[in-house]
Amino acid sequence: MNSSRSGAKATIAATLVLVLAGAGRANEIKGKVSVQGIKTAENIAVYVDVIADKKFDAPKDHIVIDQRKMAFLPHVVAVQQGTTVEFLNSDPVGHNVYWPSVSGNKKLAHNLGTWPKGEKKPFQFNDLGVASLLCNVHPEMSGYVVVVPTPYFAVTDKDGNFEIKNVPAGKYTLRTWSEDGKPTTQAVDLSGATATVELTVKK
Amino acid sequence: MKGRVANTSIVASLTAVVIVFWVMLASVPKTSAIPAFSRKYQTSCTTCHNNYPELNDFGEAFKKNGFKFPKDDEVFVKEPPVLLGSKAQKEAFPGAVYPGEIPGYLPIAFRYEGNFTLNRKQPPGIIAQNGFTPRTDLFAPNTFTIISAGSFGQNLSFWIDDDISVGAANANGSMGDGWLKYSDLGHGFGLPKNALNVRFGQFELDLPFTQAKTIYLSPYDIYSETAIAGPLGTTNNSTIFGSPQRGIEFGGTPNNGNFDWSVAVTNGSNVGTTTRSSKDVYVRLSQKFNLEREAESRNAIQAAGPTGPRDHTSIRVGFLYYYGKNQQNQDGLLFPGLATIEEPFYRVGGDLRFKYRKLELFGLGMFGHDDNHLVTPGAPPTIAGAPAIRFSGGFAGANYWFYPWLIGTFHYDAVNSHADFVNGTPASEHQTRNRFSPGFQVLVRANIKVVGEYQYTFGHPYTDPVSGNILFFRPNTFQTGIDYVF
Repeated sequence: MNSSRSGAKATIAATLVLVLAGAGRANEIKGKVSVQGIKTAENIAVYVDVIADKKFDAPKDHIVIDQRKMAFLPHVVAVQQGTTVEFLNSDPVGHNVYWPSVSGNKKLAHNLGTWPKGEKKPFQFNDLGVASLLCNVHPEMSGYVVVVPTPYFAVTDKDGNFEIKNVPAGKYTLRTWSEDGKPTTQAVDLSGATATVELTVKK
Repeated sequence: MKGRVANTSIVASLTAVVIVFWVMLASVPKTSAIPAFSRKYQTSCTTCHNNYPELNDFGEAFKKNGFKFPKDDEVFVKEPPVLLGSKAQKEAFPGAVYPGEIPGYLPIAFRYEGNFTLNRKQPPGIIAQNGFTPRTDLFAPNTFTIISAGSFGQNLSFWIDDDISVGAANANGSMGDGWLKYSDLGHGFGLPKNALNVRFGQFELDLPFTQAKTIYLSPYDIYSETAIAGPLGTTNNSTIFGSPQRGIEFGGTPNNGNFDWSVAVTNGSNVGTTTRSSKDVYVRLSQKFNLEREAESRNAIQAAGPTGPRDHTSIRVGFLYYYGKNQQNQDGLLFPGLATIEEPFYRVGGDLRFKYRKLELFGLGMFGHDDNHLVTPGAPPTIAGAPAIRFSGGFAGANYWFYPWLIGTFHYDAVNSHADFVNGTPASEHQTRNRFSPGFQVLVRANIKVVGEYQYTFGHPYTDPVSGNILFFRPNTFQTGIDYVF
């Protein structure tokens, strides 16, 4: 009896360890975004939407957006809420960085002004939404900062592929944002090591 | 009236000059922003213009640098040039053609303008005297212009603009500028960058305020002023500032572009081939005082404003001087029995321009002086000195940017000429002819404008058909139109 009881306890303990280990394991969501009526599937932000009862600390690492050859590089940046973005000017000409709203909320408009070549200006994005980056003397310049609620996000490559790494197992809502397309939402069940999803963004 | 000559040849000559003068005025070439550069650099017009064709500080620096970005130009070029020989071919010179380059794109741009006009209602006396002018003209095509400009490598730049069509009637437009410029000629002598440049061809003089690239619908009157003596003597000088000249110009912009100098030797005739052997000299000096407080901003191409790059707060003061020797009767037909008549003349002036944030104030004053003679017919005829033909005048104005796309404009023009008053060309109530011209400009897009200007002009005399009295009529007009480049 004693041996059978201890065997059962060991089995239960082992099962618990495996379950707990699975819940905390870093998995990934990867996939491909297809587009309809849009020129390219590149630069589409894909992110895990708000997770109920889950809050994340603001990341300490800063993201850099460069102004080079009169363009914002990269063109689209996804960041977690609370991230500080440093805007670098690599051009010998003057630029300014401003956004007229965050997702249409003009109260969140901001103008960082102008600074010389080689210098950076930081800004912490605390409001969820999309900030359209502009320069008032070079209106052809445009960039986007997509502020998302979780640290699980990616931006598609030129073929529309993306990988969101280090996502704990669970059920999530995946959302997209693109410059020319409508937002897309898709449920994802990440029970294994990898969940592969196919998304379609339409104009 | 002893000594005064009622010479039919003078009258004929005067008439011809007046006709040529008005034809020139009607076809004053206007050039503009250069979409060819937009294509080359894949950038908007606003990079170089606050309100095209007026240049902002960056545009000025771009122009002074031979149509290249002031720093690291090759980094920004999106359409690489075609090399006419490798750079290493320099070493083979003079055994081989020196290497050059041409734009990798077709450096061509177009501009089209046309206006709606509302004229003040004419009294019967004016209609009887000058003919009927409709109150409105819904659309009058103005000019369709082709512009080509760019650079041929490190030091050579070029500009050609031609009105393909004027008034949409036919292809009777004229060339504005057509020149080739070599920049930084003084580099080999250790001079500062762009301290010595040379330009050759047909060009607008280095005027304090450009007429060819003005933002206004109406020209600066003083730039169109000629010195015609009429019954006051022999002076018959059609040289004006408002049209291009032909010749060679040396100039430079040392001191970080703040000092500007130029000396041009020109034919002195604005149209056609040269009519006299003597050449004219034009000298222009100006100094810009940069009033930005921060040294870094002061030394940058544009000032670093709290909400973006902007033009420097600055004052520019300048001086101009033009000297020539008008010649007539070289063939002895105008005044038979007399030798060539030489009449030295000069124009001298000063200018001021102030820029502060959204406001721009400017002004120019000018004085003209032409030697004059009286011819007494006889056998032989005699010639003697006469009071000089003089005129003065200028303009002043202001522009204000309510928004980057909405600009209020105003300029006041005045010309004071006793000779014009006597000649009645154009007829005026006073010896001073003046005009107030408030207006607006709306940048619908960076390359499309809707412009408007009201012109409140001086009184023109006419005879009242009922009373026979001399009355005065101001032929005020309002013009508005479209202006686009591509």
